[in-house]
Amino acid sequence: MEEQSCPRCGTNKYRNPNMKFLVNVCGHSICDNCVEVLFVRGSAACPACKIPLRRTNFRIQFFEDSSVEKEMDIRKKILRDYNKQEEDFPTLRAYNDYLEDIETTIFNLANGVDVEETKKKIEQYKKENKDTIRKNQSKLSRDEELIEALIEEERELQESHRNDMKQEETKEKTRKIQNKEALIDELMFSEAPANYILASHKAEVARQREDEEEEAPSLPKARTTMFSSGIRVGQQRGDTFPSTVPIEAALYIYSPLSIQYCGPDVPDTPAMLQNGYLNHMREASQADRGGGYEAKVGCSRAVQEALCGLFYTYQEPESQAQESSSSSSPSSSHMEMEIS
Amino acid sequence: MKINIDGLLVYFPYDYIYPEQYLYMVELKKSIDAQGHCVVEMPSGTGKTISLLALIVAYLQQNPLDVTKLIYCTRTILEVDKVVEELKNLMNYYEKETGVYPNVLSLALSSRKNLCIHPQLQGMREGKVIDGRCYGMTASFVREKHKYDPNVPVCDFYEEFDAQGKDIPIPSGIYSLDDLKTFGAEKGWCPYFLARHSINHAQIIIYSYYYLLDPKIAQAVSKELSKNSVVVFDEAHNIDNQCIETMSVKINKRTIEKSENSIEALQTSLERIRTEDSSRLQNEYERLVEGLRDANMSRETDVVLANPVLPDEILQEAVPGNIRNGEHFVRFLKRFLEYIKTRLRISHVVSESPASFLKDCKQKVCIERKPLRFCAERLASLMRTLEFSDVSDFSSLTLIAHFATLVSTYTTGFNLIIEPFDDRTPTIPNPVLHFVCLDASIAIKPVFERFQTVVITSGTLSPLDMYPKILDFRPVNMASFTMTLARQCICPMIVSRGNDQVAISSKFESREDIAVIRNYGNLLVELSASVPDGVVAFFTSYVYMESVIASWYEQGIIDNIQKNKLLFIETQDAMETSLALVNYQKACDNGRGAVLLSVARGKVSEGIDFDHHYGRCVVMFGVPYVYTQSRILKARLEYMRDHYNIRENDFLTFDAMRHAAQCVGRALRGKTDYGIMIFADKRFSRMDKRGKLPKWIQEHLKDGVLNLSTDEAVQLSKHFLRQMAQPFKQEDQLGLSLLTLEQLQSEDMQKKIEEKAQHAEYDLT
Repeated sequence: MEEQSCPRCGTNKYRNPNMKFLVNVCGHSICDNCVEVLFVRGSAACPACKIPLRRTNFRIQFFEDSSVEKEMDIRKKILRDYNKQEEDFPTLRAYNDYLEDIETTIFNLANGVDVEETKKKIEQYKKENKDTIRKNQSKLSRDEELIEALIEEERELQESHRNDMKQEETKEKTRKIQNKEALIDELMFSEAPANYILASHKAEVARQREDEEEEAPSLPKARTTMFSSGIRVGQQRGDTFPSTVPIEAALYIYSPLSIQYCGPDVPDTPAMLQNGYLNHMREASQADRGGGYEAKVGCSRAVQEALCGLFYTYQEPESQAQESSSSSSPSSSHMEMEIS
Repeated sequence: MKINIDGLLVYFPYDYIYPEQYLYMVELKKSIDAQGHCVVEMPSGTGKTISLLALIVAYLQQNPLDVTKLIYCTRTILEVDKVVEELKNLMNYYEKETGVYPNVLSLALSSRKNLCIHPQLQGMREGKVIDGRCYGMTASFVREKHKYDPNVPVCDFYEEFDAQGKDIPIPSGIYSLDDLKTFGAEKGWCPYFLARHSINHAQIIIYSYYYLLDPKIAQAVSKELSKNSVVVFDEAHNIDNQCIETMSVKINKRTIEKSENSIEALQTSLERIRTEDSSRLQNEYERLVEGLRDANMSRETDVVLANPVLPDEILQEAVPGNIRNGEHFVRFLKRFLEYIKTRLRISHVVSESPASFLKDCKQKVCIERKPLRFCAERLASLMRTLEFSDVSDFSSLTLIAHFATLVSTYTTGFNLIIEPFDDRTPTIPNPVLHFVCLDASIAIKPVFERFQTVVITSGTLSPLDMYPKILDFRPVNMASFTMTLARQCICPMIVSRGNDQVAISSKFESREDIAVIRNYGNLLVELSASVPDGVVAFFTSYVYMESVIASWYEQGIIDNIQKNKLLFIETQDAMETSLALVNYQKACDNGRGAVLLSVARGKVSEGIDFDHHYGRCVVMFGVPYVYTQSRILKARLEYMRDHYNIRENDFLTFDAMRHAAQCVGRALRGKTDYGIMIFADKRFSRMDKRGKLPKWIQEHLKDGVLNLSTDEAVQLSKHFLRQMAQPFKQEDQLGLSLLTLEQLQSEDMQKKIEEKAQHAEYDLT
């Protein structure tokens, strides 16, 4: 790590412990002094690859291997757009193919293979998936969520432990003071000889300590991680709810049922009551009413049946109607007879 | 003798048995019956190994449906050999009793380094190189090439094995590492692959911990072992540290540099192949599109880089698209490496969780979690495709890839600590990234889940309830046995002050105190004058030992010791230490007597036995706490407090005491042995320390020996040595600590044993 030296001035960390390596988009590193000198005007060519660079784009080199540095630069940019999750794909296989595709893209860009083509592809991808990209920007993958939860848990555990320690300490302190006071009080007011009091006090303290030791430290309480319904706390999108795929269709609108009687209108319930239709109907018994039957139900049904098909006129269909007409006419005449 | 243990007929290859061995087997039987795990402690030197083997082999023979396999894990090659020896002994006894040699296949397995019989590789010392060379000769693509071009070298032994050995099962019997080698040499088969291949139908497997614990190795070797096996972890008192070690990663500048080179190599060979033979890359690509599992369907020899513990459901999935292409993956690795580099370029210590590391990684280099998880697997696949014949150069890059996979797979139980320099040399920048596993249970969990019975056993496991806690399992059985002794052959003492009544302690405030150092010195001088043969002294750390020895030298204490005995010192260099050990033993053998100064947690304290005259007295200078300022340790302590409710101090004391017990336990390796154990620190006499020693030491720590001064201790030890010097025959032991079959079955002995068993049972509620 110490052997790295600036390609321009040849200084290394050993000679100048304060030196910093900076990199620009091309991935070639150069020390901060040289940047000062070269980029007085704000922009100049990279000493290694002669690409024109801006001074503002320089940043501190994080990785020792400049190729990794460059790749990371590209990768971060790419991953900002290629941010689909496993859930966005129907199969694992498709997701894996997608991952490999990203990898190839980055590899190509980093190593200068088919750069133009790849860039075009990225543009296209961006255009096609604008919505998903925006949607996924703030989403965490399942693993990340798990990790976040774990870190949170650890933090809480630590905190609770620190609190426990503090409490114990204060408890210990107050007990000590109490003991001391008790001893002095006893020495002041008791009639017993002093060494006897001292001895008994000592025994008392020892007993207390033993008691203390016996009660084992309680295990840290498990954090409530679930609601009573089994959903985990703090997880926006748990395993229990797979993302639902919306089905696109027109909404259903209710329209009242229309029945074609082919006869005069059947009187509705109030009319039936008014006109005395029910006069000749048997009253519904208690048992009938229990089953949901009322006199008007039977009456309206009978009337419906009577009126149905009164205006029916037989229309001759094109073919095979001859046979059906002969069979249907007797039944209709039979109906008419009944009504008359 | 043949013993009936709870309805199971156990062949025990000796005429006599210790009562605790009997108890041990009873407890073991219970756990296997219950198909659960157990923790059993029994002092070393009481025949743990043979009891384990005798019982489990009997179980295997009589209940072949319930238990099909015994997997015996040890720490070192030496211990593997010991176990095999005992097993052979047992089998010979079976043959003698039943007339037929049992139809059991038992295998020892070790690395290629210990099993390779290829003439070119035999002289090599470094395991990694041998692995790499072996891979270079046996990988499937090399063998493929060999078909067309006979000049490409392949391993004849492997070829032979592949052609013939695979179909014929290896004849049953007990194979040690050497037996495997001779068998392999005879047949012309590769012993390593023979053992790996035969593991699946062997009844007994003996190998190192790492074959089960290290996920990278376990995947390759132990994947297909059946569930109804009994797994034994012997000498398991350090198992938690081993678990942690297998899952932790350390990355320093050298690793980074080497990986950079490896990436370069990957890139150039990728370009070369792209122009020469692009169909191969295309094939790989196609396979990866389909999923990882198929990519793994390669030959056994190719599995040099297995994946560290990826959940299976992930492996079924396809590799993420952004690392599918070879070039993209290389760029990916490069980015990740650059990122780690920037993380290492810091001036202050950073400690963060894997989650925040991942978040930062996403922000800085746009690397998400998912491709990171696949990193190790993808690298392995790429290297297979590129057909690198020597993979040992790539170990650093592999390490980085493993790190990537681990950090993205485990979000809890791990921590990242980045230190810009070593604490001892704050002026020299030497950044190190530690990815530390804080939870020992992560590595061993699959073992507990996979096998029906796991036995954790050692001489020093006290306090027993600590192990289930830190390894996070529920044992069905826990027991601790003491040694039944016909005479009191251990003499533990706690020396808390010197002759001048100044308290001695290695605690931080007083360890540099000249009076304390002088008192330690005087203690050693007086002991060296009164104890015959070997005396071993343990210090808490190398640094402390050096400073103490330096001031002893000034005070003339070294001269005084050398008047009585020769002086040897353990150093951090393994060769030097083993030379010192050899000469120490020589000095003890010829009666000159010697003092060995060594360090707790060092090589001597873990693996070397000081039986009989090699160690008549062991001194533990101070309480061997770990270096508590280590950030890794702090992170682990914090984790254990938060997750397992183990307080920092409890764990530190537990850890210190198990190492102290391990050190002093070195002296006693059997019932005819005897030794003095001196704990030279005031703090040992406190109940919280003393209570954590193993039971078999604790029961001899009477109130009278808890607070001694140097001269009192020497007086007591003289008395003890005089007693021990009396002739001690086997007859004295019989009936008390050594039983014949009749004695074992006698009624009052059974009663006694019952009593002891109740005593040993641990309260599991």
